[in-house]
Amino acid sequence: MIYPEEGRQVCPRCMKKHAIFIRLLSLAGKYKLSLFFIVLFMLLNSATGLVIPYFQGTVLFDQALAGTGTFAGKIGLVILVIIAFRTLSLLFGVMFGIMIAKLAANVAFDLKSSVFTAMQRLSLDFFMRKQTGHLMTRVNNDAHELQYFFVDGMSYFIVNAMNIIGIAAVLLWMDWRLTLICLIPMPLVFWLVRKAFPKLWRLSWRRHRRVSALNSIISDTIRGSRVVKAFGKEQMEIGRFQRANDAFSGAEQNFNKMSGTVFPVLNLLTQTGGILIWAFGGWKVMQGQMSFGAVLTFVNYMYMLYGPIQFMNNIVGWWSYCMAAAQRIFEIQDAVPDVAERPDAVRLPDMKGDIEVNNVTFGYEPNKAILKNVSLRAKPGQMIGVVGHSGAGKSTLVNLISRLYDVTEGEIRIDGVNVKDISMASLRSHIGIVSQDVYVFSGTIAENIAYANPDCTTEDIIHAAKIANAHDFIEKLPDGYDTLVGSGGYNLSGGEKQRLSIARAVLHNPKVLILDEATASLDTETELQIQEALDSLVKGRTTIAIAHRLSTLRNADYLVVMDRGKVVEAGTHDELMERKGAYHDLVRKHDEALKMKEGVIA
Amino acid sequence: MTQDGNVGKTELADAARIRYLTKENAEFAETPGHLLAVKTDGEEHSPVYVHCSFPHTNRRVYLSIRTADNKEIGMIRNLDDFPPETAALLERQMAIRYFTPEITKVVAVKEEFGYSYWEAETTAGLCRFTVRNGGGNVKFAAENRLLITDVDGNRFVIPRLDQLSEKEYRMVEMRL
Repeated sequence: MIYPEEGRQVCPRCMKKHAIFIRLLSLAGKYKLSLFFIVLFMLLNSATGLVIPYFQGTVLFDQALAGTGTFAGKIGLVILVIIAFRTLSLLFGVMFGIMIAKLAANVAFDLKSSVFTAMQRLSLDFFMRKQTGHLMTRVNNDAHELQYFFVDGMSYFIVNAMNIIGIAAVLLWMDWRLTLICLIPMPLVFWLVRKAFPKLWRLSWRRHRRVSALNSIISDTIRGSRVVKAFGKEQMEIGRFQRANDAFSGAEQNFNKMSGTVFPVLNLLTQTGGILIWAFGGWKVMQGQMSFGAVLTFVNYMYMLYGPIQFMNNIVGWWSYCMAAAQRIFEIQDAVPDVAERPDAVRLPDMKGDIEVNNVTFGYEPNKAILKNVSLRAKPGQMIGVVGHSGAGKSTLVNLISRLYDVTEGEIRIDGVNVKDISMASLRSHIGIVSQDVYVFSGTIAENIAYANPDCTTEDIIHAAKIANAHDFIEKLPDGYDTLVGSGGYNLSGGEKQRLSIARAVLHNPKVLILDEATASLDTETELQIQEALDSLVKGRTTIAIAHRLSTLRNADYLVVMDRGKVVEAGTHDELMERKGAYHDLVRKHDEALKMKEGVIA
Repeated sequence: MTQDGNVGKTELADAARIRYLTKENAEFAETPGHLLAVKTDGEEHSPVYVHCSFPHTNRRVYLSIRTADNKEIGMIRNLDDFPPETAALLERQMAIRYFTPEITKVVAVKEEFGYSYWEAETTAGLCRFTVRNGGGNVKFAAENRLLITDVDGNRFVIPRLDQLSEKEYRMVEMRL
């Protein structure tokens, strides 16, 4: 068996529908008590309802009106009894309605949090591969659809099954021959269900895929609206959306056409039974073999049977939604994080910051190595500068050191321990990253700075902001550190965001500091100010700094020049300049670029 | 407050190099034009402005004293560390800089064509103002504290949203 994704424990074909169903049932265990009461009230509701046709038919017509039996002439009493049972039935109905509403919200809540928690557990790689739209659909819609399974599916299924059995028993007891007559169309119904439903199932899955693709385009375009506007590509985006929308609409139509045909036919077939009863029952009444009240009772029960039978028809549709949704949710829960912590992982309460990279080879995809045989050494307290062209693998290297990904070959050691053996918690608490793509969460500026360490004091936040050169612009804002940023909040500029993320790392106070183009989006003057502050902070810390701007690395103890995934040169600034190799070239080009800039300004 | 001997924190404070103003090293005075002046390290700065670091959550701590061109003279850890008259002077300055009437009673909120028209009793008397819908003009500045910015940029605040009557809350809720 070839697994579609490496590390995915369950292959889709081995995931049989009934296996999913059993697994879903195990989730329902938590709601046993409420489900029990819901089913109980539902049964009481239908039991009280079941009495009514008997009173409306046999008792009213054959006893009260015909003047025979226990209820002879007591029409008022019969009506009162009917009203009483109706009221009881209604009360039980309201009761289970309320309980279901509560259960539904709880189930959706639990499922959503379990999917979200399962997602947070997964490695960065998972999020890089999937589209945001797909993931958002999973958390929201799939959980919502599964809610149907627990709430409508489970309880109504039990009650309707009981109803069918109960009513069928009453019918058989009243007249078994008439009952058999109304079952004549049944084989046809079963045949149709077996033929049509697998197809419906497929169509529903297709519809889901299309709606996910549609959501992806919407989220893409909204988040990338700056790019879309800048290139004037609105029409193209409209076209792209139209195609996806068209595809979705087609899938939706196919599904609806199919279900729109199948269900009325099924209804018609089941109702044929009722017509047959009227025909045979009427004939029997005329022959004097059966009373009119008995036929009326019989037909009323027959009609009560339609609801549950139709439900059984529809449940197949629900079933297909739910199973598809459950499959997707379980897939996330079962996904094995690529980067997993060993059970016997070492905790490092104190890290010295001795980093050793030995012959590391790595690729995001197999057989496509981004890093080839990379080695470097950073002694505690040293500052290592990594330079090289774009795409040389600099950011990949630091991703490996902080173990966002695992190396394919070779090893990375921190304080002599392989990073794969160090617990995630100690790794993350001792390594701080300021990367080129900064993210600001919704919340206040103070909360954003304190992200890594929410228990810090107010003074720490202000000090960190001051070091990152963010204090002055924050104080200038009317809401100061209370300013809301992130989606819907105050719009920070690129440089301001960068400074917030530096403040975040400063407050995190790690032993190993990774600066991945940390000051790239700042002007030279601000960069200089932050550099000064950082210089006082990097003392006693191991720092790995990646920079395009070579001036950023003027304080580095040691420089590593990378090109196409390999370390081509290593040494101090002076050594490398003497060697007149790749670094010398880079510095020369850098200086030329600076001169050109000066020329432009002059 | 945080100088508890923790090495990391001391490092942070040293690297930050923030100058804290205390009652010993700084002398505040009111200028004839009712602005603020401060004398510290033998140097006089006039006028200076009081910036709150946390105008919504705590106004009395971490005040930044700045010149007109946003240069920080120093910070005050807590207003309570200063003699009452100095604290009162600084508070007066803050009240001017952060002038925000507090809404005590919402009388009416009407909505039409994307704008809502508010009528409210505030600490600055009865106010009528217009707020543009959307764009974060009505937002939470802190938990339970609602900040309303009208079309002219005037700010109003409902200090405790849960203190509103049910009728008032109904009117405000639709504007959130």
